[in-house]
Amino acid sequence: MLRRALFGIAWLAIASPQAMAADIDPLVAQGDYLAKASDCTACHTAPGGKAFAGGLAIASPVGTIYSSNITPSKTAGIGLYTRDQFAAALRKGVRRDGANLYPAMPYTAYAVLSDPDIDALYAYFMKGVEPVDGAAPKTSLPFPMNIRLSMMAWNLIFLRDSGLPSDPAQSAAWNRGRYLVEGAAHCSTCHTPRGFLMEERSGLAFAGGQVGAWYAPNITSDKNSGIGSWSKPALIGYLRDGVAPGARAAGTMGEAIEHSFQYLTPSDLDAVVTYIETVPAVENAKPGDRFDEGKPASDLASTRGAVIDDATQGAALFQGNCASCHAPLGQGGTDGYFPSLFHNSTTSAPNSNLVATILYGVNRTTAQGQAFMPGFGGAPTDSNQLSNHDIALVATYVRAEYGGSGAAVTDTEVATVRQGGPSSPLVLIARIGLGVGVVAAMGLVVVLWRRRHRLGAKRGFGE
Amino acid sequence: MTQTESADIIVVGTGVIGCLIAEQLLDAGHSVLMLEAGPRVERWQIVEKYRNLPPVTVTNLDAAYPPSRWAPFLDSTSATTAADYLQLEGPNARAYRQDYVRYAGGSTWHWAGICWRLTPDDMRLKSLYGVGRDWAFDYATLEPYYTRAEYAMGVCGPSDPDLQWPPIRSKPYPMGRLPFGPGEQKFTDAAARLGLKNLPAAQARNSGVSYDTRPPCCGNNSCIPVCPIGAKYDAASSLPRIEAKGGKILVNAVVYRIETGTGNQVQAVHYFDPNGQSTRVTGKLFVIACNGIETPKLLLMSADTRNPRGVANSSDQVGRNMMDQPKLVAAVTLAEPAWTGVGPVQGSSIMQTSQGAFRSEHAGALLRFNNMARSRLGAMQALKTGLVGKALDAEIRRLSACTAELTLEHELLPNPNNRLTLSSKKDALGIPKPNIYYDVGPYVRKSAEIYSTPLVKQLAHEMGATDVKVTTEFTNSDHIMGGMIMGADPADSVVDVDCRAHDHANLFLPGGGAMTTAGCGNSTLTMAALALKAADAMVAQLAHA
Repeated sequence: MLRRALFGIAWLAIASPQAMAADIDPLVAQGDYLAKASDCTACHTAPGGKAFAGGLAIASPVGTIYSSNITPSKTAGIGLYTRDQFAAALRKGVRRDGANLYPAMPYTAYAVLSDPDIDALYAYFMKGVEPVDGAAPKTSLPFPMNIRLSMMAWNLIFLRDSGLPSDPAQSAAWNRGRYLVEGAAHCSTCHTPRGFLMEERSGLAFAGGQVGAWYAPNITSDKNSGIGSWSKPALIGYLRDGVAPGARAAGTMGEAIEHSFQYLTPSDLDAVVTYIETVPAVENAKPGDRFDEGKPASDLASTRGAVIDDATQGAALFQGNCASCHAPLGQGGTDGYFPSLFHNSTTSAPNSNLVATILYGVNRTTAQGQAFMPGFGGAPTDSNQLSNHDIALVATYVRAEYGGSGAAVTDTEVATVRQGGPSSPLVLIARIGLGVGVVAAMGLVVVLWRRRHRLGAKRGFGE
Repeated sequence: MTQTESADIIVVGTGVIGCLIAEQLLDAGHSVLMLEAGPRVERWQIVEKYRNLPPVTVTNLDAAYPPSRWAPFLDSTSATTAADYLQLEGPNARAYRQDYVRYAGGSTWHWAGICWRLTPDDMRLKSLYGVGRDWAFDYATLEPYYTRAEYAMGVCGPSDPDLQWPPIRSKPYPMGRLPFGPGEQKFTDAAARLGLKNLPAAQARNSGVSYDTRPPCCGNNSCIPVCPIGAKYDAASSLPRIEAKGGKILVNAVVYRIETGTGNQVQAVHYFDPNGQSTRVTGKLFVIACNGIETPKLLLMSADTRNPRGVANSSDQVGRNMMDQPKLVAAVTLAEPAWTGVGPVQGSSIMQTSQGAFRSEHAGALLRFNNMARSRLGAMQALKTGLVGKALDAEIRRLSACTAELTLEHELLPNPNNRLTLSSKKDALGIPKPNIYYDVGPYVRKSAEIYSTPLVKQLAHEMGATDVKVTTEFTNSDHIMGGMIMGADPADSVVDVDCRAHDHANLFLPGGGAMTTAGCGNSTLTMAALALKAADAMVAQLAHA
């Protein structure tokens, strides 16, 4: 007891006022929790930078935008915001000076945040965060994106104006889960496909969407296309650790787990899963369980010692680049650190994730430790730099050999993922400012920023 | 018409020394051009070449790196090929068959990754024991650079000072130690029963976590000849980062001449492409970091009217004092399995046997358990027995599990008679091949007779050996040192405390060649520390220019 008391004193002596505030004020602690649940740090903390000081460079099709400083600094941050001004920024996308934010800030999701939660977040950002006086670089975009007023039109179409009323027919856990999924965690931002105006398409909620280089897969309750075959403990384990039978979190989802989901309480994780399990099924993939495709295989007997030509180059690339960790039969390691390449949604699904994983690797840290795979050239500093052609060959080989699919990966597909994912002709419309296209294109562009920001960080644009 | 290239800093050689320096200078805002004599290949190509080799090449660790016609190096494929490039003579010619490769990324491609530091005593041999030389500075001067080198390469090591060598450190290792495999543990336990401490080696290998863009070690046990996943630091892994920072790397560019000018400053270097086409490369500062054999060779080749004995050679010490750790090997047969090969190829050493008052009389030695997997050796040996079927399988298993190799590496003193000169024989581009005279001398021989060999036999028996055979012919450790020896006095040394040539204010010769004494441990970390010290001096020199 004495030892504990002494330790407590020592700890208080070295703790910052901010840490003390979080320790003492339950409202600040609640806000800290909500800030994690909302993954604020993903955008507002630059790699190697101070917490919430902004400055993360977000690559967009029309130029670089920088996340803002949301520390309580009165000069560079949000220190002068009143509680209501803070609420307006979060829920309506309106700055203290009245200007509209770009929806790189997911205020369309945060619109559902309750008043008590806004109070908690406000308390945390005012008292629990260290003020940083360094201003983040100013975002300067070309016409017409520089006219923030035009965001009002987009908001009229896509911004909901009220919270989510509780559904008495559902359990408390379901209602809490819906509040988190639709609000703070803003899952649909990535997992719901977009329409022509970049709106989230009704009827296809959580059916899967492209997020820059990565594909956020179908997370509806469909047994084949979605995650309907997963047990509840598997879903909870995935959100907490990034690991489930047949699936590993990488890319933007890996970061969401590292920065956000792993900190959710067991009851909130349970709530999120309770709600997600009820999302209406959308079937949009080939028949067959995407987590159970493929089988162990090896071409070593026919290629070892043989001359490498175009036909065997994929196998040689696999053996030289992949097999030293994922094992010669693609079975991975016995302790699960290296995933098996068969029974693995990344190798079985015909989306960009296999190529993105090869290019950018995996780097996810949770309470379980670090899961790491090096990138093979997605960053210019990667120690191994594979060409688009070699990545196409090895990805084609892995899909055919272990993914249960014969779909070939082309050099062009790899090039697309390497440059950050597919772009859209709407971007061109925005650039040349074609009349009616402008407003729609504005929507597209800002949503693309939002979706690409993490990729930008990964590719070193944040430096 | 001669072509030309130019940059602020010209670095000849893309090994660990060249790469560390290039990155420091790029970070300081200077332009850097690197020249590499050999080709540049991808890691997976080396891995596949290695795995496709027939088992008979098992003893040739360079076999995955065939020399190019224009950048030859010692080729261990056969006795004939081995004799082709390095011209070796003297009582211990065999012990200077140094394995290095002339490839982009240099010889760290196939190093074990071991990162021992010198001890304070290792740097004061003359004043403490009356042998060898003293360094021009002490351990405390070098310590900050050791630490920086450990962080630059990503070195893992023990946090317990009782297990550190030496336990004089300003910062912890960037990563924690790797665990021992069962064979190393057996060796450690046997050593402990004899009152000796087998220490976990500091090693440039990621333990449990990623470092830079490289993954943690997963125990492929093929560090030599190549880490297939890049968990071990090798300079090749930093080449893309150097390019991302704006550095330019030219490969297949064989530098054959250093050109001096007014004030005996270096004006340019000249290189041949594989067809013998020459290019002149100018810069402000020049770094020759081609290893301890190729660098003195190039200095001697570049003799001109100002420098008739060769560039940087007014002291006549260029190419002299050639050092290594002469090695003996104990082949051990054990009653019980040791299971060699779990983890990296090397992971520990007994270091205390390198130190002591006996150093006035004879060399100390490092003793270690070689953790390179023995399955291929076991299989080759078993096949010779004529056994078949299950009996063959059982014999392969027994030979793989119940045999081991212990290694003794001795401290060699700097001796001016151990000397590299230019052979009259020429390579394909007409460049003289190196000729080296080598004698390990009575200091090492006495150690082998009365100290190291008896000790290793004791250790082997303590491990439960049923048979021990210790070699008597010394072999190479591939730690090439001494040829551009450092010292305070320009009359008897080649470079100053910053690896700057005494004779040329803008010429730097960092690396193993600059080491004043060798110690018993692997040389790379000391070379890297000297490189960072030299880089600081270069940045300061450019700032004053």
